[in-house]
Amino acid sequence: MSDSPNNEEPKKDRRKFIVTSTIAASTACALFPLASGIPSVLDPATKDSDNAEVPWTKVTNLATLPEDGTPTKFEVILERVKDAWTTYTNIPAGAVYLARNGDKVTAYNLKCPHLGCAIDYRKNSNDYFCPCHNSTFGLDGSVTTDNSPSPRGMDTMDTKVEDGVVWIRFQQFVPNIAEKVPV
Amino acid sequence: MIKGLMDWIDDRSGIRGLVKEALYEKVPGGARWRYVWGSCLTFVFFTQVVTGTLLWMFYAPSAQTAWESVYFLQYHVAGGWFLRGVHHYMAQAMIVLLVLHLMQVVIDGAYKAPREINFWFGVMMMGVTLALSLTGYLLPWDQKGYWATAVATNLMAEVPLIGPALQKIVVGGSEYGHHTLTRFFALHAGVLPATLVALVVAHIYLFRKHGIHVKEPRPKRDSYFWPDQVLKDAIACLAVLLAVVALTIYFRGAPLGPPADPSNEFPARPEWYFLFLFQLLKYVPAFWGAVIIPAFLGLWMFLTPFIGKSTGGHQFNVGFWWVLIAGSAALTGMAISEDQANLKHGAAIEEANWQAERVITIADSEGIPPAGAVTLLRQDPQNQGRRLFAAHCASCHRYNGHDGRGFPVDEPQSAADLAGFASVDWITELLDHDHYISAKYFGGTKFKDGTMARKVLAKYTEEEKMLLPEIARLLADGAELPYEEKLDEDTRDELFSLYYNDDLKFEDGRACIECHDIDSEDEGFAPDLTGYGSREWLIAFIENPEDKRFYGKKNDRMPCYGRDGKLKDEEIAILVDWIRSQPAAF
Repeated sequence: MSDSPNNEEPKKDRRKFIVTSTIAASTACALFPLASGIPSVLDPATKDSDNAEVPWTKVTNLATLPEDGTPTKFEVILERVKDAWTTYTNIPAGAVYLARNGDKVTAYNLKCPHLGCAIDYRKNSNDYFCPCHNSTFGLDGSVTTDNSPSPRGMDTMDTKVEDGVVWIRFQQFVPNIAEKVPV
Repeated sequence: MIKGLMDWIDDRSGIRGLVKEALYEKVPGGARWRYVWGSCLTFVFFTQVVTGTLLWMFYAPSAQTAWESVYFLQYHVAGGWFLRGVHHYMAQAMIVLLVLHLMQVVIDGAYKAPREINFWFGVMMMGVTLALSLTGYLLPWDQKGYWATAVATNLMAEVPLIGPALQKIVVGGSEYGHHTLTRFFALHAGVLPATLVALVVAHIYLFRKHGIHVKEPRPKRDSYFWPDQVLKDAIACLAVLLAVVALTIYFRGAPLGPPADPSNEFPARPEWYFLFLFQLLKYVPAFWGAVIIPAFLGLWMFLTPFIGKSTGGHQFNVGFWWVLIAGSAALTGMAISEDQANLKHGAAIEEANWQAERVITIADSEGIPPAGAVTLLRQDPQNQGRRLFAAHCASCHRYNGHDGRGFPVDEPQSAADLAGFASVDWITELLDHDHYISAKYFGGTKFKDGTMARKVLAKYTEEEKMLLPEIARLLADGAELPYEEKLDEDTRDELFSLYYNDDLKFEDGRACIECHDIDSEDEGFAPDLTGYGSREWLIAFIENPEDKRFYGKKNDRMPCYGRDGKLKDEEIAILVDWIRSQPAAF
């Protein structure tokens, strides 16, 4: 069979069809492996943070807190913490400063609202100081210097005192934004 | 604009030339379906590398987290089951494609000079792929992988001189544990894939150097790799992909058995493509299976290109490989049919499936403690109770006719069947004379000829017999079984009055209260039935049936499990919780 000019057109079409199909099939094969895992990899971003009510956790007795309001650091031990598949019971989940004012107690998260370093209480100057980027906070948790890198004051959380026992609802907040938003 | 960018890149990389060289490989005799296997294998390997890397983001190799992380991916991560399934079934497809590729090479004579070295590379790649399968099988750390891989690594010790050391190196010690997983994972995700990549590069380089080996006669004019052969390759890859996706969806991802437990025996079986070796080991000593036969096959593969050069050598090679494949298929078939004919094997698989479902149910509702999911099963009465029963009780007692775990028992039954113990139905049947002396209740004990059988149950009148189910209701109420309803106060009082024979409905000598006390200080000479079948009663009974509250000196061979330290307190509690739970369907 000789190639006549009349045969050129269908031949071109055939080749075009083959090339298109080849590219389509190869692309499908090339993308498939990654695509098969994309939903799993993106899974954390699609899940909202645990919206369940934050449980009350016992921290200490009111009597252990100095009456003059000097902050004291406490470990927060949560009854139940879930990390992916593991359920931990009675595990330290963070720390707070508790400051007493009469029968009321204020709880400040130890984590700096700037970038999450641990904040120190400075006895000499009677204030809070973050040793990472030098944020300073007053005893009421507010930002004290104009050039403090922290966009907001220290994070407080709900507290209550019942029968001389101090309870808090321990929470973490999104760092480095002006508003206090739970993680 | 795009052309400009492409020119810019090409000027600096020469990419166009590279692509051209890759795609415009000459295919003498035109594109053919028989050439697709190599491309398919490359595609499958590429898929395994990508999906494997994604799985890596979820996997935690340690004895307490491997199964747990896989469970979490399978059941609690969006699409996790699909990702696992694709990796799992692609691995199976890879084995099938390897055999097809090998057979195509052998039949076409593509292994002959000058392609010997490339044939050897191919054989090495097959070895690496099998090693990948073997190491991957262990990683989920479930019963199946654990027990099967233990067999595989024990075979390693058969290698002369270095065997035992080699086994320890691979296992990361003398026992399976954290380091077995970290090593197997490093092999599976690091060492072996890297080796395979190097071999693939060498294999493709040599393949390109020698060109396609054409099976004569040439069907068509010569053409180029692009697009004719690429289209065929891509369609074949697409077919493999669709088959894998279909399997993944049909089976809802890869299987995950119960977590590995060295104290919970499981019939070790390798993946289906190793079953021929498994079967072979029933006939030949381990040394043959682990060393001689693999060494012989390795040598044979090395020699294949040379044998092919001699007269009739090629036909011999083709025949040899067909015989090898047919033999493996026959052994595989035998392995499967022997397992199917084995009742104990079936029961073990059924039990493992049940355990897998069970542990997932518990993990979903309670989470997994840091000590790992295996502790959930060990502390679960539904699982551990039946295992304790099988180990300590089933040589005399039965549970629905089996040993509690679904296995038949070889010894004859010599004590009661305890499925549904202390329930209304169970006690009603017990109080029927014919049942009482049957094997299901006391037929295997001396109580068959005791006072209760001969002088009480055998003597009841028809009227009295009508009352016995009522007595059963009262006794079962005292057992407070979690799956039976409590009686209301009035009914209970009424039934008690019957039990105490207030209205003299039972003839003298045949009223229950005459021998069996309930709620009284007196000591009747038959077992006290206060709280009969309750948790407290049954624990006390199993601890010491010879206590005067129970059989006293009349005890017939029932061991005193607590008193004699045969079972720990928590084990007795687990056993009791299981016996008192709703009887299982099997």
